[in-house]
Amino acid sequence: MKKTVDISLPVGPVHPLFKEPCRIKCETRGEYVLSAEVELGYVKKGIERIMRGRPWQEVMFLAERVCGICSVIHNYTFIEAVEKISGIIPPERAAYLRVIVNELDRMQSHLLANYSYCYTIEHETLAMYVLNLRETVMDQLELITGARVTCAYIIPGGVRWDLPDDRAESLKSALDHIDSELTRFVRIFETGPFIALRSKGIGILTKEAAEAAYAVGPTARASGISVDCRSDHPTYQALGFSPVVRHEGDNYARIMARFDEVFQSVNLIRSALLKMQPGPVRGGGVIQAGSIQYRMEAPRGELLYDLVTDEYGRILEIAIQTPSIMNIQVCAHEMLTDAESAADITSIFISSDPCIACTER
Amino acid sequence: MSIIQKLKNTIRSRSIHVCYVNVGSCNGCDIEILACLSPRYDIEQYGIYVHNNPREADVLLITGAFSPQWEDKLKPLWEKIPHPKVAVAIGNCPISGCVFNRPETLVDPPVSKHIPIAAEIPGCPPRPTEIISTILSLAPLIFKDYEEKKQ
Repeated sequence: MKKTVDISLPVGPVHPLFKEPCRIKCETRGEYVLSAEVELGYVKKGIERIMRGRPWQEVMFLAERVCGICSVIHNYTFIEAVEKISGIIPPERAAYLRVIVNELDRMQSHLLANYSYCYTIEHETLAMYVLNLRETVMDQLELITGARVTCAYIIPGGVRWDLPDDRAESLKSALDHIDSELTRFVRIFETGPFIALRSKGIGILTKEAAEAAYAVGPTARASGISVDCRSDHPTYQALGFSPVVRHEGDNYARIMARFDEVFQSVNLIRSALLKMQPGPVRGGGVIQAGSIQYRMEAPRGELLYDLVTDEYGRILEIAIQTPSIMNIQVCAHEMLTDAESAADITSIFISSDPCIACTER
Repeated sequence: MSIIQKLKNTIRSRSIHVCYVNVGSCNGCDIEILACLSPRYDIEQYGIYVHNNPREADVLLITGAFSPQWEDKLKPLWEKIPHPKVAVAIGNCPISGCVFNRPETLVDPPVSKHIPIAAEIPGCPPRPTEIISTILSLAPLIFKDYEEKKQ
């Protein structure tokens, strides 16, 4: 069949709604999107090339700077990978503290993603509410780790500092505040008629298409695929973790899946605080030679570190697979195709929560 | 000082449009710029508006360590911004390349090789308050009496 294309519509790389530079090239007929392609490569830094041959003490900080939004999970995955190679087992309290910091990071990442979506569909009030709530999470992250974004809290054999009781109390009251405020915001999102017009039934990703394209993270879980690497992690298993799954597969489901995961993170932190016993937080150990493939769940989906170390603790080979690349592909080829309006291009793209810095490294 | 210059000074002091461009950062600085928008810091009470459109901007915030893709794009983008304009480098990356400036890297810092930078905010990443105070202290230096200084 012959396709009639009116115009080729480029969006980006510097666009008012994008946090990061990328270019979406759409072929449109009127407002109807026939096909779309995402062009990447604006923030390629070559981190894996820099990492090769360097000691783990340096690679640890480089791994954290793969992505600024989800920096804790990169640190967490790299450190657990080298711990698995060397047979180091962190103390129990340190394992729970890692989960607490990781879940705080996930909360701020999801709130930022939902802020971007609300801003894109021009619901600025809700966007500002959500962004302000994110500052509460950032405060707690700073109180525990000492930095807002790149905190390097997790180290081999434990964590950098213990969590004193007064800070645990402040964390608990912050969690109560987040819980009550976010319940209100989610009700605004659920019942807003204009939000529903821009979100429900738009950018649909079917379960079959998500499976075929290996979609990961909240994008896959909003399409009914129960996939979450946290289910295989021993600390999360001890906390009774089970993934959040929704079945609609549209923009609304992806945003609601993220809101639900923020509530889930709040509950995970609460149960970790209850289960945590006083004890040491640094066990120590020596990094040894070996190789491993280690995967964990980043806020955007499955994150894989494939690395080889030598007996001096240097990283000989490293390959990182980040979640966004699959989600960007599935977004361009499945969700954006057949979008009814050019205004939905940005909102569909943002709803899949792309992280370009992760993807290109 | 002419009346028109006085008028321009008054208006410019409360109307600063900001555009930010990521030339190869890790997103850490970008989310700190976004955090400035939140009601906690409330960047708009100072008359700063994050527009992210180069053609309307007065201040260009640059994050990142300059990746090769921007070689031919940053200078045209800078030229699109109308006068008076000023560029601010956010974070260590545009200043020195931070952790990315090592052998084998693809980035090419500093950004001041490509466009004139008026102020630099070190930090990995800098705090939102530092970003706001830099813009606020820089803007009067550049925008006040701009036409008279040019003559």
